[in-house]
Amino acid sequence: MTDSQSQRAGDPLLRIESLRKSYGAGHPVLQGVDFETYAGERIVVIGPSGGGKSTLLRVIMGLEDIDEGLITFKGRNYVSAAGGRTRIDAGIRRSIGMVFQHYTLFPHLNVMRNLVLAPCKVNHETRASATKRGLALLERFGLAEKAGAYPSQLSGGQKQRVAIVRALMMDPTLMLFDEVTSALDPELVAEVEQVILQLTGQDLPMVIVTHDIWFAKRIASRVLFCDGGRIVEDGPPEQVLSNPKTERARDFVTRVYHANG
Amino acid sequence: MGYAYDFDAILRNFGPLLNGLELSLEIAIAANAIAIALGFLIALMLLSRSWLLRLPATAFVEFFRCTPFLVQIFWFFYCVPLLFNVFLSSRALGILALGLILSSFNAEAFRGAVQAVPREQIDAGVALGLSPWRRVVHIIFPAALRLAIPVLLTNGILAFQTSSLLSLVAVEELMFNAKMLSSKIYRPIETFTVVALIYFAISLPISQLVNWFERRRAAAEG
Amino acid sequence: MDLDFHVVWTFSGALAQGLRLSVTLTVVCMALGSLLGALLALARTSGSLWLSLPATAYVELLRGTPVLIQLFWVFFCLPLVIGFEPSNFASGVIALSLSMGAITAETFRAALRSISRDQKDACAALGLSRWARTRYVVLPQALLRATPVLLSNTITLFKESALVSAVGLADLMFIGGNISNSVGRPIEVLTSVAAIYFVIAFPLTRVVTRVEKGMLRKLAL
Repeated sequence: MTDSQSQRAGDPLLRIESLRKSYGAGHPVLQGVDFETYAGERIVVIGPSGGGKSTLLRVIMGLEDIDEGLITFKGRNYVSAAGGRTRIDAGIRRSIGMVFQHYTLFPHLNVMRNLVLAPCKVNHETRASATKRGLALLERFGLAEKAGAYPSQLSGGQKQRVAIVRALMMDPTLMLFDEVTSALDPELVAEVEQVILQLTGQDLPMVIVTHDIWFAKRIASRVLFCDGGRIVEDGPPEQVLSNPKTERARDFVTRVYHANG
Repeated sequence: MGYAYDFDAILRNFGPLLNGLELSLEIAIAANAIAIALGFLIALMLLSRSWLLRLPATAFVEFFRCTPFLVQIFWFFYCVPLLFNVFLSSRALGILALGLILSSFNAEAFRGAVQAVPREQIDAGVALGLSPWRRVVHIIFPAALRLAIPVLLTNGILAFQTSSLLSLVAVEELMFNAKMLSSKIYRPIETFTVVALIYFAISLPISQLVNWFERRRAAAEG
Repeated sequence: MDLDFHVVWTFSGALAQGLRLSVTLTVVCMALGSLLGALLALARTSGSLWLSLPATAYVELLRGTPVLIQLFWVFFCLPLVIGFEPSNFASGVIALSLSMGAITAETFRAALRSISRDQKDACAALGLSRWARTRYVVLPQALLRATPVLLSNTITLFKESALVSAVGLADLMFIGGNISNSVGRPIEVLTSVAAIYFVIAFPLTRVVTRVEKGMLRKLAL
């Protein structure tokens, strides 16, 4: 695992300032989030349920409104709040990809059509070219023979792997993973984590929300502990996961270790 | 359009409409009462392991679900007295007919609900030593009732609206009186509009209640 | 009590004609009603209050009143309002189509709403425009989900069509009622009429169940 310090070359990829969001009065979900990510970083966000980590990811994906704050991407304004309304730059949003906890493959389309829908309709790529790229990606991740299958015929692990490939088809500059293995049976988790690990070779920046501490240890170049809508800890995995500085992080990590035996 | 509206005429003749409404409500409520009890029993028969119980129950439900209400009502009013050599008042026949029709729909609703009662609750009843019948009365029925309430209420509204068909066999409920009035004062638009609004005014609150129930359930499971 | 079903058989021609009208009404009104229902559902789920409010009012009104009164209204009141009197058949078509419009509007609305938010999020994450999302992800799934319910709505319409006998349209029920009165054998005639409705509706309900299961399997719902 490379030193996260040496990866901080150049300007931030994503800068998040003073992010605040509530679901109505008295239900704050993000209470002032500040951090920056740099090219090549693989950030894992851990924390208790309801702590805001999934919401944070969704905000980064441009799926949610915010009450206050600013997110810039490569120096340009991406998500900003002004006068009660949220402005999201659609062009930047298109360069970010996300994979969700519950597959969300389109059930009425087979795998290949799931893959080529966005490239053809958004980037106006030809069907032939998109299909070729799709097949190549499926082969890379061992799913080539499933190209004609429908989502209902795939296992949970296969669905998630296809979902990752589908996001990759749009050539994202940043990939977000929202608890992509939490809904899977234990024996299917490894194949999905394997795919994500394979992506590290491409130097693709990622932000990953997960419950799986062991996976976090293997993939993260930096770990954030998100609790109560704030980033409570931020540092290299060896530190945050094995030797957290704050009490809350320590509590959480110990509980998770014990729960997973 | 040389038609002068006169809704006052309706107000002057509201008496018979009110009487008709009273009868419609009586019939609908009585039919609902029968249909909830009977519907539950038929649902149990549908779910029974013995085909001796399942077959007649299935035939009953399928008959009522696959033939028009009007045919069923005519059949009741013209054939039942002949077949069984009984003479029932038209009110009683109406309640009977509507009650049986409704119970077939409620049976389907209850069937789904009974199947959705969590296994653990029934197992707890067994562990406590309750007899099968006691388990049904004290555990299954209340739980299934709670689950089925939205559908039962919706079916109840349906029954109230279907009671209007009884006007075609000369039961003097709301629809019958509406037609009589409309012919008597030559004002179909006012009469039928007002009567439609009366049906609506009774159906709407109940359907809103159903929506409220379903929203609450969705939130609880959310 | 002696039952003589042979009597019914002698009237089979007339009953067949009545059945033909019933079936025609069902098919025509289902087509028109579904079209209306689709438009109403789109109006209700559109953002605009100008569209959704009247559409909702229409659907609630027609679902909260008996079909019989809607039928009477179209037959007795509409001619007064529009100034001319449509043929019996046309009035029947109008009334039943309007009623089906409200029912199918609910069917379509439920189908549209059942597309989970996750699917829409995935579309946003992939950069699909709202139009592309509606055209390629939401609508196809909504139509697939609506199909079994629409079939079931058709069966309901077929049964409801019997009401047109109350305003003198010569459908199966009307003809059956007339025969029953003229030969004085209600049990045989009405049972036969019921059997005819049943023989058509029952297999259709089995088809609905099969379509539902097939769809559930394919979409893994």
